[in-house]
Amino acid sequence: MNWLREIWRRVKFLSHRSQAEDDLAEEMRLHLDLRAEETGRDESRRRFGNELLLRETSREAWGWRWLDSLSQDLRYGGRALAAHPGFTITAVLSLALGIGANTAIFSIVNAVMLRALPVEDPQRLVQLRSGKNGSFTNPIWEQVRDHQQAFAGTLAYGDGRFDLASGGESRFAQGLWVSGDFFRVLGIAPLRGRLLTAEDDQHGGGKSGPVAVISYAFWQSYFGGDPAALGKTITLDRHPFEIVGVTPPYFTGLDVDKGFDVSIPIGCEPILHTDISALDHRSWWWLRILARLKPGDSVPQAEAKIQALQGEIRRATMPTTWEEEDRKNFLKDAFQLRPTATGFSSTRDRYRQGLFTLMAVVGLVLLIACANIANLLLARAAARQREISIRMAIGAGRRRVIRQLLTESLLLSGLGALGGFVFSLWGSRLLVRLFSTALDPLDVNVSPDLMVLAFTSGVALLTGLLFGLAPAFRATSVSPNHVLKENARGAIAGGSRFRLGKMLVATQVALSLVLLVGAGLFLNSLRNLLGTSMGFDRRNVTLVQVNTLEKVPKERRVELFRTILERLRTVPGVTLAASSLITPVSHRGWNQFVFPEGYAAQSREDTLTWFNRVSPGYFRTMSTPLRAGRDFDSRDTKSSTKVIIINEAAARHYFGGVSAIGKNVGMDLDGKTGEKELFQVIGIVADTKYVDLREETKLSAYLVTTQEAEPRGETNFILRSAVPGATLTSAVRAAIAEIDPGLALEFRDFETQVNESLVQERTVALLSSFFGALALMLAMIGLYGVTSYAVLRRQGEIGIRMALGASQGSVVWLVLRDVTMILAVGMVLGIAASLAAGRLVTAMLFGVKAADPATLAVCAAVLASATTMAGFVPARRASRLDPTTALRDE
Amino acid sequence: MADQKRDEIPPGTLYMLILRTLARGGEMHGYEIANAIQRGSEEVLQVEEGSLYPALQRMLIKGWVEAEWGVTAGNRRARYYHLTKLGREQLEQELSQYRRVNIAIEKILQSA
Repeated sequence: MNWLREIWRRVKFLSHRSQAEDDLAEEMRLHLDLRAEETGRDESRRRFGNELLLRETSREAWGWRWLDSLSQDLRYGGRALAAHPGFTITAVLSLALGIGANTAIFSIVNAVMLRALPVEDPQRLVQLRSGKNGSFTNPIWEQVRDHQQAFAGTLAYGDGRFDLASGGESRFAQGLWVSGDFFRVLGIAPLRGRLLTAEDDQHGGGKSGPVAVISYAFWQSYFGGDPAALGKTITLDRHPFEIVGVTPPYFTGLDVDKGFDVSIPIGCEPILHTDISALDHRSWWWLRILARLKPGDSVPQAEAKIQALQGEIRRATMPTTWEEEDRKNFLKDAFQLRPTATGFSSTRDRYRQGLFTLMAVVGLVLLIACANIANLLLARAAARQREISIRMAIGAGRRRVIRQLLTESLLLSGLGALGGFVFSLWGSRLLVRLFSTALDPLDVNVSPDLMVLAFTSGVALLTGLLFGLAPAFRATSVSPNHVLKENARGAIAGGSRFRLGKMLVATQVALSLVLLVGAGLFLNSLRNLLGTSMGFDRRNVTLVQVNTLEKVPKERRVELFRTILERLRTVPGVTLAASSLITPVSHRGWNQFVFPEGYAAQSREDTLTWFNRVSPGYFRTMSTPLRAGRDFDSRDTKSSTKVIIINEAAARHYFGGVSAIGKNVGMDLDGKTGEKELFQVIGIVADTKYVDLREETKLSAYLVTTQEAEPRGETNFILRSAVPGATLTSAVRAAIAEIDPGLALEFRDFETQVNESLVQERTVALLSSFFGALALMLAMIGLYGVTSYAVLRRQGEIGIRMALGASQGSVVWLVLRDVTMILAVGMVLGIAASLAAGRLVTAMLFGVKAADPATLAVCAAVLASATTMAGFVPARRASRLDPTTALRDE
Repeated sequence: MADQKRDEIPPGTLYMLILRTLARGGEMHGYEIANAIQRGSEEVLQVEEGSLYPALQRMLIKGWVEAEWGVTAGNRRARYYHLTKLGREQLEQELSQYRRVNIAIEKILQSA
């Protein structure tokens, strides 16, 4: 920090520099005098050297020269800005908004894409992958762990969600399943207590029993930071775990957009999942595997090492029930390593496009704001032409004057950046909230770091130069004599500056059109997505997920769920009720190969069908129309014929239409025996959206809960009501508690679930509309400014025309002619730019072409009328000028 | 005096000489420092006396010395410099570096 201290000293001395200079002069004089007393004046001078030069050198020692002129420029610039508070406030505010929006979005991009994980030497972490897949089974992980020699360390982890409640409505904690070496390999030290070890990570729990390490955030929120939390027990899905440690605050897991509350050893999995443990399951892909490279190893070297071991690992862990073809592929599929210093982020993958689009949008807004400020500065520079010319006439170099003007611009952009930075602190949090959903909460650390600061300062510098350079060059390019001879209004310089101003406004109009068209396209897409035929009615539906947490034996579950359903149908306000394994658009799915009777499959993929298991009455509850046949009902029992309902797409695909009723579909449901069970098609229902709203219609099929032998421990109840869903929850909670108070419940609004699946589309549409409107406003201000200036400049001419009898209308037209010209040029440029930019966002559009003529036309019309209005105000003012006053002023 | 042979101060050693002088003499003003250096070198080293002042300025900036105004014996206002802790450390450094270099040069000269 030596340089900091030095700068501080310099600044301190700068503040009383005349004092310091006097001191130095006095000191030198004393020296000369004393020496002269000894040796005489001449010798004294000779020994002393060139006094002036020395004084200059001393001054430079303080760095006075540059600080000096900088402070002069800043003071001067500050005065100039303060002299025009209206301009300054407008400019700083629009810059603050522009820079703030850019910084806010950059903060998120930085947090999810650029920032390295806060672990030891993140550059040496790699992720194990095979093909496109980054998930592995526990048996594979254990094999990799036992073949450590390729790496300095390995770790595995999986996401989980644990219920902290002891009954009733669930309270979830974000969980991590971690391998014993997880924290050690990452180099994380405990904040309190100890972290997990290989000793804890044994099948069924280690010597210390089921233990958990909690995050700092959870320690604060759940235990209020109480040190006594260590050694306490928390229940996860109703199973007790002892808390042995707390992680430091900076460590929030390896997913940058998802924090964690509790981490427990992978080996404890059988404690929670007694039905079937995932530990020995060879086809449950739920763990990420990471490794730390050995010192000196490169990624390819380590990759070669693990590939050498892969045959052994693969053979030991191959799922036995797979078909021949799948097995062959499994053995062939090579392990790969990918550097993973920045961690994982679903945002990065899901919202990448959205973030980059928004970045482009706010970048354009900033450009428009710059054009505006440049325009205002041009007008000011013209007004200051005399002052500048005088300065240049008395010997200020052109460079010196340009530097002065640029200092002013940079001062302006600096102030804007300061405001923008403050604004971005709030804006980035708002953005995170906009992208965050109940199902998929976004938990990104967007606090600014050096990268963000550098970005903001870079943008400030760039914008300052951008809007400052043209006016500065323009103002200094005219010969001083010329201007001084001209009248006070600087008509000559004004004329050329006016052309530049018009060009800037035309550019603004063009950029605004691009933004408006973008907003229009995104809004159209969103409308199309929401208006698309979903195959169900999303309104007034409440979802209740009920989880037995495996406390209820399998054989009793069918009966339990049936009893609950019966009971829920009697809750006041509930009009229809059903249950289903999967709810639509929840980003979950279950697919399966089918063997329809009489259908010759073209390929394996050709028969991949998406499934759900539902109770009778499901389709009526969801308002999914039944196209043919019948719904599931009381006839369908465990002992009756196995039945299936398929959607129209599947009926068409497999059976060519309604003739499907009565046909059989073969399936190997449990995937264990390889034997195919037959299901008879009893109905055909309308196509519905399955995973998300953007998807092409999927082939899908439904099985009935009443024919299920061993249901999973959780199911969803779907309640359609005449009243808002929120008013139902307490009655529903009470009704279920009557039957079994130990069940874990989670309430969700179906409409919210559907809407949240469009969070990227919604956010992009919302923000681009907002910024589009802002751009429109800026363009209006720009046009208003340039027209007002034109009117002022032509006051004399207008006065003469009016004195000669020109009508008000013709004066308005005179002014508007210019506006129309600017608009026309801007529109042509804007349409070309919109078409070009549209191609970049095609992938984000739904049901609308990037070159949509209707959108383009509407946006152009809105822009044209808004800007014409802005031009009309000064035009009208011009037409009301009193000719005599106008002429006198001239 | 004019015939006496004088050498310029080797570049980079002025700071060291000033620091050393101040370390020995405590509080001194510029003229005293110049005289002390000249006397200390038995009139061999030629200081362009004025160049003391830019050097002193830089040393003030670096925080090696501090200065206060005082009054000379002849009752004139003079700025008195004294070493700071930082200056003492700097002196140690410069001295040991200077000695190292000196010894190295000596070695080469002897072996030649």
